[in-house]
Amino acid sequence: MRRTSLVRYGTVATAMALLVAGCGSSSSGGGNQGGGEKPKPAQNVFNAGTTGIRNASDHKGGTLNFIADGDCDYWDPARTYYGFCWDMQRLFSRGLMAYNAAPGDSGLNAVPDLATEAGTSPNGKDWTYHLKSGIKFEDGSPVTSKNIKYGIERVFAQSVINGGPTYVITFLCPGPINTSGGCDAYKGPYADKDPNHLGLSTIDTPDDNTIVFHLNKVVGDWNYIMALPASTPVPIAYDQSPKGGAHYTDHPYSTGPYKFDTYTAGKSLTLVRNAMWNQGNDPFRKALPDKIVFTVDANDDDIDQRILTNIADVNISGTGVQPTAQAKILSNPTLKARADNPVTGATRYLAIESKVAPFDNVHCRRAVQYAVSKVDWQTARGGPIGGGQVATSMLNPTVKGFVQFDAYPDDNGNGDIAKAKDELKQCGKPNGFTTHLASQNSGKGTRVATAVQAALKRVGINCIIDLGNAATYYSQFIGAPAVNRAKGRGLLVAGWGADWPTGYGFFSSLIDGRKILPQGNSNYSETNDPKINDMIDQAVAATDPNKAAQIWGEVDKQLMTEDATLVPMTWDKALVINSQNVTNAYIMLSLLGIYDFQALGHV
Amino acid sequence: MTAPLDVQGSATEAQPEAVLGGVEAKAIEGRSLGQIAWMRLKRDKVAIVGGVVVILLILVAIFAGVISSLAGQDPYAYHSNLIDPNYSTPKGGWGGISWDHLLGVEPVSGRDIFSRIVYGARVSMIIAFLATGVSVIIGVAVGVVAGYFGGIVDQLLSRLMDLLLAFPLLLFAIALVYVIGDSSLVGLGDNNTRIFVLVIIIGFFNWPYIGRIIRGQTLSLREKEYIEAARSLGASPTRILFREILPNLVGPILVYSTLIIPTNILFEAALSFLGVGVRPPQASWGAMLSDASQGLFQIDPEYMIVPGAALFITVIAFNLFGDGLRDALDPRSNR
Amino acid sequence: MIQYIIRRLILVVVLMWVVSMVTFAIFFLIPSATGTSPAVLFAGKAPTPDTIAAVEVKFGLKDSIPVQYGHFVEGIFVGRHFDNGADKSYCPPPCLGFSFVNNQPVWEEIVSDLPVTLSLAAGASIMWLVTGTAVGVLSALKRRTIFDRAAMGLALAGVSLPIYFTGLVLLDLISYKWGILPNVHYVGITDNPLSWARNLLLPWIALTFLYAALYARLTRAGMLETMGEDYIRTARAKGLTERRVITRHALRAALTPIVTIFGLDLGQLLGGAILTEYTFGLIGVGHLSIDAISRQDLPVIMGVTLFAAFFIVFANLVVDVLYAFVDPRVRYS
Repeated sequence: MRRTSLVRYGTVATAMALLVAGCGSSSSGGGNQGGGEKPKPAQNVFNAGTTGIRNASDHKGGTLNFIADGDCDYWDPARTYYGFCWDMQRLFSRGLMAYNAAPGDSGLNAVPDLATEAGTSPNGKDWTYHLKSGIKFEDGSPVTSKNIKYGIERVFAQSVINGGPTYVITFLCPGPINTSGGCDAYKGPYADKDPNHLGLSTIDTPDDNTIVFHLNKVVGDWNYIMALPASTPVPIAYDQSPKGGAHYTDHPYSTGPYKFDTYTAGKSLTLVRNAMWNQGNDPFRKALPDKIVFTVDANDDDIDQRILTNIADVNISGTGVQPTAQAKILSNPTLKARADNPVTGATRYLAIESKVAPFDNVHCRRAVQYAVSKVDWQTARGGPIGGGQVATSMLNPTVKGFVQFDAYPDDNGNGDIAKAKDELKQCGKPNGFTTHLASQNSGKGTRVATAVQAALKRVGINCIIDLGNAATYYSQFIGAPAVNRAKGRGLLVAGWGADWPTGYGFFSSLIDGRKILPQGNSNYSETNDPKINDMIDQAVAATDPNKAAQIWGEVDKQLMTEDATLVPMTWDKALVINSQNVTNAYIMLSLLGIYDFQALGHV
Repeated sequence: MTAPLDVQGSATEAQPEAVLGGVEAKAIEGRSLGQIAWMRLKRDKVAIVGGVVVILLILVAIFAGVISSLAGQDPYAYHSNLIDPNYSTPKGGWGGISWDHLLGVEPVSGRDIFSRIVYGARVSMIIAFLATGVSVIIGVAVGVVAGYFGGIVDQLLSRLMDLLLAFPLLLFAIALVYVIGDSSLVGLGDNNTRIFVLVIIIGFFNWPYIGRIIRGQTLSLREKEYIEAARSLGASPTRILFREILPNLVGPILVYSTLIIPTNILFEAALSFLGVGVRPPQASWGAMLSDASQGLFQIDPEYMIVPGAALFITVIAFNLFGDGLRDALDPRSNR
Repeated sequence: MIQYIIRRLILVVVLMWVVSMVTFAIFFLIPSATGTSPAVLFAGKAPTPDTIAAVEVKFGLKDSIPVQYGHFVEGIFVGRHFDNGADKSYCPPPCLGFSFVNNQPVWEEIVSDLPVTLSLAAGASIMWLVTGTAVGVLSALKRRTIFDRAAMGLALAGVSLPIYFTGLVLLDLISYKWGILPNVHYVGITDNPLSWARNLLLPWIALTFLYAALYARLTRAGMLETMGEDYIRTARAKGLTERRVITRHALRAALTPIVTIFGLDLGQLLGGAILTEYTFGLIGVGHLSIDAISRQDLPVIMGVTLFAAFFIVFANLVVDVLYAFVDPRVRYS
């Protein structure tokens, strides 16, 4: 569940990853070593950065100015859950695996970073990795397999190290998972009985360069999970000191080409070169600029202006420009040639809370499916370019397993009023009803909400809009099902994108009935269909990626036609542009359509 | 020496009418304060213009529904066919003005601006008038009691007013709307509950201003001889308050009410601008400005200018009328 | 005189104390009104029951409201230690608590946003005071001339336009359409004074338009009233030049009330010019308070409210004392 400031992410299967994964080994997607074929530089035309590299250059030096409308949730690799923050981690955190640094589909592969090669497993449950030698932290101390084990153990201490993905807990817990998604058998290195703080029994470190994971079930995607920032090594003594733990996020130790220089929470971060980084054992990083300065600017229009006037270089939030800048870019051919319009891989949708009356009746849910105007939603988000394509299913076309079907044909996205009214009759509310609609209080969030409100009013469904602050929307505002139920929030505006580019997890946290959490929940619709739960289990256990993809397609169909608890509205796109100082810009599909920050240089 | 008989227009009763025989009785008829004020007001052209606009606005607010259906538009209907999808702006020039949409359409949604302005007038008027009513009732009650009784009562009430004036006004109003504004009072419906909450909050934060002024006026009135006379005749405080003091306060109350109304209009607009005004999709001029400020006013300036102009005209009309009223009621002022 | 000052100081303390109590009470009612407990808000994303319990211990959220209030007041004077064994934080005095959202001390957040608000208030207040009073005085002296009518017309427009509208129009014309000034983006005065002034020019103009209008009207009315007084007639009768009459006698009497109002307005502005900051995207104390309210970041809301109230009350005090110097009758009221 990776988030941008507006979107919550799960995992979505993406095309090339699964094709590559079909290369026979039981480790999916980890086939390539870093490097591979050299991607060709792109002509500077509109959308060139999605398939090639803009302004390719080897020039070293200079300072890049990054800007965003919000700080990262955390800089601690185990706690961050924003897409653009995972991208930033590539500058200073190296894990066992990492996404390949290339545009287009080859950027979807996981390649070994600190590991010598992709992890191997004889049975899908026990995975072995060997570390490269000579890896050091920014203070010169050596990185060993124990640091990696410790880093992963930290995730178990959810009372201190919370906020990030918890897949490692799910698969490495020595005992059963409790109802809040935690592991009672091991509670993290701060409550560890082992004096060396390495008490997690499911990870072995036979020597300083080897690490073995003993998962509690077959997970074909383990190499992808090891490409998440959580597999970054953490210095044990430093983390156990008062500066570590909950405060580690203020200065995480670097294993990458840059390290923290100064950091003011919520305001700015300066990264400078890390002398302890060795390009020789790095699969793709080039570290071109001397310094990177990241500043927070709460005014989105201001951010666009600064980029267009070359005062700032990259808007790292990646959510796209505002309407004013969009108008400027699209009407000016020179600017348009510099801009990219990537598919972010996210689906924007409306979750229907199936436990809030009258949405417990499937016909009332189907009424909403027919009555919404996806075109108005699309316009509210910026039209076909700034907003995306009208969606007919939750999986989007870049996903393997995607099947083109429309369970609720609605006059090309305008809504079918007659069918909607018919469904209302069938659920016993021929004159409509009233419910609450939750959305974010930012510009696009409010516009989307009023669009839904106006569309549903056509069939008599009255929506009362509840707006939540963007910073806490997913975690607190709609993340507690009990609160949603108490406030009568039958409809919740949300966005969902990929954690890693294979099938597991997108639908899991979204509609797995066994993953409805009391806090920090992602199954907003409280879907609990035994058929879907079964299919999810089958897909996760499938060793053949094609079979898995096919099952995910079935899940999508089942969800839409039978349960109707999620209403897919648009397949998200963004219009993005950098300043003229930026070299080597290309879009990373695996990071949700954002530029690969570690590759960027200064002219 | 000129006889006092041919002095016209004095407030005192003319006595020797009977003696005058040939002189028309009308010429020396006395005028009450109200009549004098009315005469002065009539002469003030600018204030009259303001007054006429105010009356027009009130009529528009009352007949909002009729007006907008005459124009054939629904303030809540989306017209995405009128919006250019790539730019989010209305397709026509000048913000999409046409015979169908007299003031154009909103960007992104395509809603008719004319009917939303008309309904917005209703929201502004209702909230401003009701809130002013609340302020005046509380302010006059407290001010009169504090001014007349003096002593401890005055001390306490004055400190209370100081306390309220010490709170950062806008901040607290916003916070209170967040706290209370989500709940729903039985029988009112959510939109009306929110309006009720706004009226109470705006009215409640503004009463100390009136309270202080009324207190000052009461203090000076209290020293007048006819009050002393009434007291020595044995009149109860209640009777004095209601029969002697309040009637003399009508002037200032009227003036300051008229001057507070535009402040309240701007207050409601400010709250809407910050996102805590009336609930969407209800139309409010401040909410339209808020929407325009988020990246749209540069590419569709009309969307900013129309509600801004509406606010401007309304507030200035009230200010002109209120200024004129104050000058008319205060014999000492010279403009 | 001293007695008067002491009495007023006591009043200030009492007021601040009452404001803090009321604010504390209200803002601890917010979570129960919205259905979440403060601990959950504090605990950040996806908190487990363990996390929530740990947070409750650390911040003492299980204590009764009066006890929590007591700790809060204590913290302002001597600082506070937050500790639940595994997680320790120290909050130096004046400790207004920790922000729910980014776990930084509230005081530091306020202080880091303060320069913006101070710059805004300082520049604008000087501009409006000078402009407003000058225009007002001139209008009064040139009563009924074209200048007077035009100035008062403009002033009426100024007080009738909401500041965010003025701000948006200025941004649209001067920044976007004509490109005379860049988009407003705060630069610290120590970083680049020229850029600092350039960026703040539009917000200053917007504020000045509003306040100068108000002050022009007030000054004009005050001048007219003063000029009508008997002692002015006497001064003229004594043979003083008109200039002397105005500068030595009329101005002082007319401007004294203006200065007191100025103090009050400045006090309010220092607490955060919410609308101006919001319109121009300046991250000052006002912007911080709006953000905090919408995120339900209670400690920050508390902190900013107290901060703003303090400035208002303090400005009132200063103004009252100054007035007592000027007008001895006040001391005995």
